[in-house]
Amino acid sequence: MSATSPDERKVVHVYDDIEEEDNHLPNWWLAILIGSIVFSFAYWFVYHTTGLRPTPLAAYRADVAALVEARIRANPTSPEAILALTRSPEALAEGEVVWRTTCAACHGQQGEGVIGPNLTDRYWIHGHGPEDILKAITEGFPTKGMPGWGPIIGPERSVKAAAYVVAHVVGKDLPGRAPQGEPVD
Amino acid sequence: MRQVRIEYDDQVVRQFAFASILFGAVGLLVGVLIATQLAWWQANVAPYFSFSRLRPLHTNAVIFAFVGNMMFAGIYYSTQRLLRVRMASDLLSRIHFWGWQAIIVAAAVTLPLGITTSKEYAELEWPIDIAIAVVWVVFAINFFWTLAKRNEKHLYVALWFYIATIVTVAVLHIVNSLALPLTPWKSYSIFSGVQDALVQWWYGHNAVAFFLTTPILGIMYYFLPKAAERPVYSYRLSIVHFWSLVFMYIWAGPHHLLYTALPEWAQSLGMLFSLMLWAPSWGGMLNGLLTLRGAWQKVREEPVLKFFVAGVTFYGMATFEGPLLSIKSVSALAHYSDWIIGHVHTGALGWNGLMAFGLFYWLLPRIYRTPLHSKRAADAHFWMALLGIVAYMLSMWVSGVNQGLMWKATGADGTLTYPSFVETLLAIRPMYIVRVLGGTLYLAGFVLMIWNLWKTVRAGSPANAVVEVVVDDTPKPEDRVSIGTVLAGRPLWFTVLGFLLATLFVFVSAVPAVLLAVAVLVVSEIGYLVAKRAAAAGKPSWFGIIERRPLAFTVLTLVAVLVGGVAELLPTILVKQAVPHSGEAQQPYTALELQGRDLYVREGCYVCHSQMIRPLLAEYQRYGEASRAEEFIYDHPFQWGSKRTGPDLHRQGGRYPSLWHYAHLVDPRQTSPGSNMPAYPFLATHRIDVALGARKLELMRRLGVPYADEEIAAAATSQREQAATVVADLAANGVEVAWDSEMVAMIAYLQRLGRDRGVAPTRTEAVATEGVAAGGGR
Repeated sequence: MSATSPDERKVVHVYDDIEEEDNHLPNWWLAILIGSIVFSFAYWFVYHTTGLRPTPLAAYRADVAALVEARIRANPTSPEAILALTRSPEALAEGEVVWRTTCAACHGQQGEGVIGPNLTDRYWIHGHGPEDILKAITEGFPTKGMPGWGPIIGPERSVKAAAYVVAHVVGKDLPGRAPQGEPVD
Repeated sequence: MRQVRIEYDDQVVRQFAFASILFGAVGLLVGVLIATQLAWWQANVAPYFSFSRLRPLHTNAVIFAFVGNMMFAGIYYSTQRLLRVRMASDLLSRIHFWGWQAIIVAAAVTLPLGITTSKEYAELEWPIDIAIAVVWVVFAINFFWTLAKRNEKHLYVALWFYIATIVTVAVLHIVNSLALPLTPWKSYSIFSGVQDALVQWWYGHNAVAFFLTTPILGIMYYFLPKAAERPVYSYRLSIVHFWSLVFMYIWAGPHHLLYTALPEWAQSLGMLFSLMLWAPSWGGMLNGLLTLRGAWQKVREEPVLKFFVAGVTFYGMATFEGPLLSIKSVSALAHYSDWIIGHVHTGALGWNGLMAFGLFYWLLPRIYRTPLHSKRAADAHFWMALLGIVAYMLSMWVSGVNQGLMWKATGADGTLTYPSFVETLLAIRPMYIVRVLGGTLYLAGFVLMIWNLWKTVRAGSPANAVVEVVVDDTPKPEDRVSIGTVLAGRPLWFTVLGFLLATLFVFVSAVPAVLLAVAVLVVSEIGYLVAKRAAAAGKPSWFGIIERRPLAFTVLTLVAVLVGGVAELLPTILVKQAVPHSGEAQQPYTALELQGRDLYVREGCYVCHSQMIRPLLAEYQRYGEASRAEEFIYDHPFQWGSKRTGPDLHRQGGRYPSLWHYAHLVDPRQTSPGSNMPAYPFLATHRIDVALGARKLELMRRLGVPYADEEIAAAATSQREQAATVVADLAANGVEVAWDSEMVAMIAYLQRLGRDRGVAPTRTEAVATEGVAAGGGR
């Protein structure tokens, strides 16, 4: 705190008997004032002007991406893993090959349904989530004429086929075989 | 020189003081009641006295009735004496007093009835909002008229703070209350989503600044030196901290919205201005505490000074904690938790409460011309209040940090350690009980004060003070300057130049930014040197000139205050890109969902539930993908909330079957054992006003929500159709409810949250978008 010599303690105003002195501003107080202003310029420079450090939103996106990747590694057949593959052109290309050679015969070239149900409308017998579609591909519904393809094409191609179906078949709403099953949102 | 005899109007001071004490008792009592309800849910009495309806009553009573009336008592007493003149109009003083009390009574009646806008500390509906504006203008006219008639040319620092209060509160209240009325007791905010949130917290934060802080600083500047009989420490500190405070405070509102869907540039401004506010706030504390230098022994003997010193110290603590909580990473832990509740009570119980008690113990014996009945009782009150605050603060710190850590705790396998929200609530219940004890102790001290002041008042008799003063009318050199001198003031232009350079800094790339930062430094340095030379040459200071011209002073204050608001609000409201409207997929609410939403507002669900998932990994895991700005474009008003006593609800839609919501609303403990949520069984029997549905859509369309004519015309049938799906779903599970019951509308709204569509889809596009499926925990 700055020293107050007697001559500094002069009274500058009096209001209703309240005397007002005009002492110096404490130096440590000025240091906080100026320091916080300097910090603010520096913070803006680092986060907004130059982007030297990621903003919270950028950090969050990186965190989520890392989490999703870890989950995919831990469980390659999880819904998240399948959704991640829908963003990979290589995986979708491999999935398309499986679709053309294995699925299209019964479900149609576009998935509009021939012998098997229409996979593009909003009616589903066994669910339409990524995990439901993967299950249908690998285990099938042998009693209804859909064989389980898992043992034949292997787990890796099954997952890529599921990714292709999710990305390019489900939701296209093409005219084809009449609806079967329950409507979904 | 002339001699004048002045009789001050102390009657209005007395009235405001008594009103403050009366409503203060009510506000504290409701506070203890709602604290009890959080610890023991059985204390909720549906529908009028449940936590969610009483909490706004508590906050409004404490802020506007207790502190408001205390502030007016202090302002009326000190303003007349500092200006050496009676209030300009006794009639306006009376209208102000009785008008304000009528508003308080209206608030006390309407809030338990569920009549609310849901905007925190601005819950009162539009007719009361208009009354507030009118009464505030009456107060302003009376105050500025008194300034015009003053016998003391130079305005003391206390009056600067009163001026800042009056003009800023008027601006805040009017802008934040802008709404279109649906009925005499229901209106919709003209702003929606992000804009509404930003306007609300620009208001909310500055209500704290200009209703709970600046007027009380003014009161401190008058009553503390009076009670201590010591000179005020520093005039120049007053100048620096006043102007920096009023300029910086306005910018800090977005610190209530850190990690929300608010654009990140606005969040950063909110955080940085909050940090820069630390010193200006402490300037006020220093001028108060340093006024006591050489007189500290008086604090031991005089209860009034004990209250003032502790109050100012709590102000210092709260204004250190505020910037701390505004740091983004601290906010990530503390926001939505009880830490914030502890923080605001440091301000309300510590700063506002103790300053009010000091004021009453000093003021009433003087007005009643008799010594205080019992100094020992006042001392006892002080220690009870202090212990009560400490218990309150500590319990809320422990509770807030504990729960914040539990919310984000993640195990080695990357999953949440405490996936059940109730678990984190049960962990802090002991702290909720400690809070009840702290609050009760504080209330007991308050009751002791009422007794003490009652005895004092009964022993004396009230009278208006009469003084004979010598008025010096001789014009000083400062008064001979023209308006041009005011406008050409060097401090003004150095500030403007520095501010413009700093503004430019925000927009440019790295190299020019460095140059501009250096330029700001140079301008500040030159400005400082110029001011120093002018002072050494004995020239009248520019500040000294404007402090003798209330009009110029008021206009400059208003400008200083408006800059921050305009800079943050206007871009967000006017620039469409600021909030992405890529909301083609975003469907407006159906009529039934709107009806349910209004019930959500009426019951005050937002008091305990947020609808804003923050971009933090733990929230992604607990609630799903972070909320995005475009998801709220049709939310008039926004329902982001500010506290999570219960979990976030933004992506709640479709997560549970309707039966779950029915059971949960009828008896929350049926689905969530250990929950402290009030029960809302009456929703199953109360009916909605179906006819109002079409009018709600129509009003929403006037606010910019795209409803087609056919949708409005078919509102009645669409409500029935959508309700039928909920009713059928419940009936399949053995629950019978009327299709037009409030329960059905509420469930329809809750099932819609965070989704493009509600329970009865009206269109048939595909789903399975990344946003829906990637929502963790589904």
